[in-house]
Amino acid sequence: MKPVVRGPEPVAAEVKALLDRRAERARARPRLEEETVLWMAEFPVGEEQYAIPLETLRAAVPLKMVTPVPLSPPHVIGILRFQGQIISALSLASLLGGRGWREDPAVLLVVDPGVGRLVALDCEQIPKPVGIPAGLVEEARGRSKGAVSEIVLPGLRQLNLLDLRKLMDRRAATGRP
Amino acid sequence: MNDPMLEQLVAGFVDESQEIRDRVVHQVLALEKADKVDGQSFEELARGLHTLKGSAATLGLSELADLAHRMEEVVLPLSGATGPLPARVADGVLRVLDVWMARLRAVAAKSEELPDLADSIALLQELDQPAAKSRPASEAPGKEPARKARSTKTEPAREAPALETDGPAAGDEATWRVGTRRVLALMREVERLRELRLRLEERRREMERALAQLSRLGILTETAEARALLMGVSRAVGADGEEASDIIASMEEGLKAISTLPVRTVLEPLRRSLRDLCKRSGKEAQLSVSGAELSLDRRVLEALQGALAHLLRNAIDHGIETPEERAARGKQREGALSVRVEQQGNTIFLEMSDDGRGLDAEQIREVALRKAIAPAEELSAMGTGQLHQLIFRPGFTTRDEVSEISGRGVGLDAVRNQVQALQGNVEVQSEPGRGARFILTMPAEMGSSPVVVVRCGEHRLGVPMVAVESSRMARAKDLQVGRTRVQLLHRDELVPVRDLGALLGFRQPEAPAEGQPLLVLKWQDRKLALGVDEVEGDRELVIRPMPVELRHLPAYQGAATLARGELVPIVRPDWLVNLERRGDAVLGSTRRALVVDDSLTARALHRTALESGGYLVHTASDARQALEQLRHSAYDVMVCDIGMPEMDGFQLTSAVRARPDLDAMPIILVSARESPAEGQRGAAVGADGFLSKRDCVSGRLVSEVAGAIARRKARV
Repeated sequence: MKPVVRGPEPVAAEVKALLDRRAERARARPRLEEETVLWMAEFPVGEEQYAIPLETLRAAVPLKMVTPVPLSPPHVIGILRFQGQIISALSLASLLGGRGWREDPAVLLVVDPGVGRLVALDCEQIPKPVGIPAGLVEEARGRSKGAVSEIVLPGLRQLNLLDLRKLMDRRAATGRP
Repeated sequence: MNDPMLEQLVAGFVDESQEIRDRVVHQVLALEKADKVDGQSFEELARGLHTLKGSAATLGLSELADLAHRMEEVVLPLSGATGPLPARVADGVLRVLDVWMARLRAVAAKSEELPDLADSIALLQELDQPAAKSRPASEAPGKEPARKARSTKTEPAREAPALETDGPAAGDEATWRVGTRRVLALMREVERLRELRLRLEERRREMERALAQLSRLGILTETAEARALLMGVSRAVGADGEEASDIIASMEEGLKAISTLPVRTVLEPLRRSLRDLCKRSGKEAQLSVSGAELSLDRRVLEALQGALAHLLRNAIDHGIETPEERAARGKQREGALSVRVEQQGNTIFLEMSDDGRGLDAEQIREVALRKAIAPAEELSAMGTGQLHQLIFRPGFTTRDEVSEISGRGVGLDAVRNQVQALQGNVEVQSEPGRGARFILTMPAEMGSSPVVVVRCGEHRLGVPMVAVESSRMARAKDLQVGRTRVQLLHRDELVPVRDLGALLGFRQPEAPAEGQPLLVLKWQDRKLALGVDEVEGDRELVIRPMPVELRHLPAYQGAATLARGELVPIVRPDWLVNLERRGDAVLGSTRRALVVDDSLTARALHRTALESGGYLVHTASDARQALEQLRHSAYDVMVCDIGMPEMDGFQLTSAVRARPDLDAMPIILVSARESPAEGQRGAAVGADGFLSKRDCVSGRLVSEVAGAIARRKARV
């Protein structure tokens, strides 16, 4: 049988307009939220995994750079010099109310919590960057009013997302994490 | 005013006008007091008013140009007169000048509410009448002063000379107006550069160490090339460091020139204030100034302005008596106020003294009692010097009513706060009936101050040199050790002794050992012998504020960077000498715990847990330090990490158990591992309990410690 080449079937003008509109909508459809990824710095605190937005992380420096200051509150482990400024080094485990502690931290993360100054937080390991779907982050933040939001990643891996500003604000307001 | 260029010019004109206004005020005050006409002062006064007029006109500020013109109209006819400037004219010009400046500032700030000029115009019109100017002219009636010819009411103000603006076309002597923030930012950058220079020096030292290690290995031939290379780099780094030092020194010198001002810039306005205060209070006083030519950090001077104004008000309101009172006491009718500024090394001394009635210690005691500023028993034990210091307490005033000048009880408190914010101190000396002297002591530059660096336990700390009278060794023959206090016989005086480590809460108070270094401090008329472990020496250090999280600690002025980049907290001398701290009294009744751990985090977490359980916690970062602390202090429990370098927790436990005097002290060992074997080994060397770090964070530390203490007690 000889193949017959067929062109587009003639359609009514209204139908063509309808199809064009559908095509346009399809082209304009936003990308799925799950495809947008937020970059986080993930690190362990005891047996739990924590994460902070990568853009808040300024540096990771050795903990031995800290100078202890007598009479300071228990959550302040000392002070250090960072880019010409003197900043506080805080015990993250203490800020979290003694939550998690597996090995003694050796690293300080210099972070910008968005409160107009930098602070350093102690940490067991140098953090690794991890991409987390924005939808999951938003959903977790929406559920939690505190400084820690729990995210369950595919494979039921749990990650605690830290809101550094809330952590600092709450410490300043109540003296408690 | 929507033209950005014009806005910028007006902003610059505010500063320029302030300078001119200050000069005009100075001349008015001089002419008012002069017995004989000083032609030069008059010319300067006239020139100042004329410049204000011309500059305002150039910027289109016609109301201000007109007002300046009217002031000229009042003043210029008096040129050539022989007597002093009439008081009414002086009053009027000074008042109008204030309004003039206020209006200019409001215009520059684009304020919608501009100060009204109508009253000022009316005042000047009144003064322009011949009767107001009673000063006789020395010149012939037809001979008008030269400036008068140019300053008639018909003269268009715009004919005045154009505003001198700063611009790139100007020559070498031209001036630029630069924002304070930019200069401060530059100063911070230079400070960072200085830190970088220190790091460079540290790198060079590290290379030298590497070279020395290579030489010690004994493989000289094989490493010859590498060592030669390292040596060359080390030398180059050293040379670069020297050059960097020269550049930094030159930049600092330049910045110092930019950021300093003669002291007279803050002292001259005091003359005007004094005049106004005297007029208002009906008192008479004269101000003499010495050291006005000294140049100091602008930030210090700006911060001091308010303090000086408070002290002046205080002197007139409380110190200087009325002329009648003074005459009755055999004093001159006119009171004498003097300000003396002096710089000794890196310390500025600013004294303001008066010959008024002085401080009444008994009245201060009564007021302090009535206003509950201090408890009655404390007040009755206070000497005159201590009572005098109470006038700096918030809310203190001997006035029952608020006067126009003072009496609200905020003045001297504010003075103290302002001076303390400059890392300084204020004290007062007084003799009843003979006057009072306020002495403000501050570091000469915000950036750099001499500091004595000491070691105490594991900490290095700085004590400002300005408070250190001397340093010496403790000798048993000079110490008087009582049940509650230790005193040192020092230069025929008994001085209380305190241990720095105990004051800072990381070890228990103890009498100094034979030969232990003592720093004798003197601050606010108080002395203290401060026990430390070692005096490392004095350094010129840049003291920076503590970070926000620690700024509430009254013990510290700030922190400074040592040559190798380490930070050293700087202790506040007034905190050290203040022996009536509340914290010391409760130490005896609290249970004490010693935490030994090389991890800062571990110490922080154990402290958090134990302090919440009601324990007073001292810490040690290794076994050696712990043994040292146990030699002098008693603890109810020791919490000790197993994994420490040099001497681990098991070895420390054995060493402690070998001492019979520590037999009753329970020991809890903490390990990163949950190992029954470690628990058994701990028990074998004499530990009372074993916890993993996981147990500690689950909240078991406090209950385990309490249990161990109870078990030990039951055994006894």
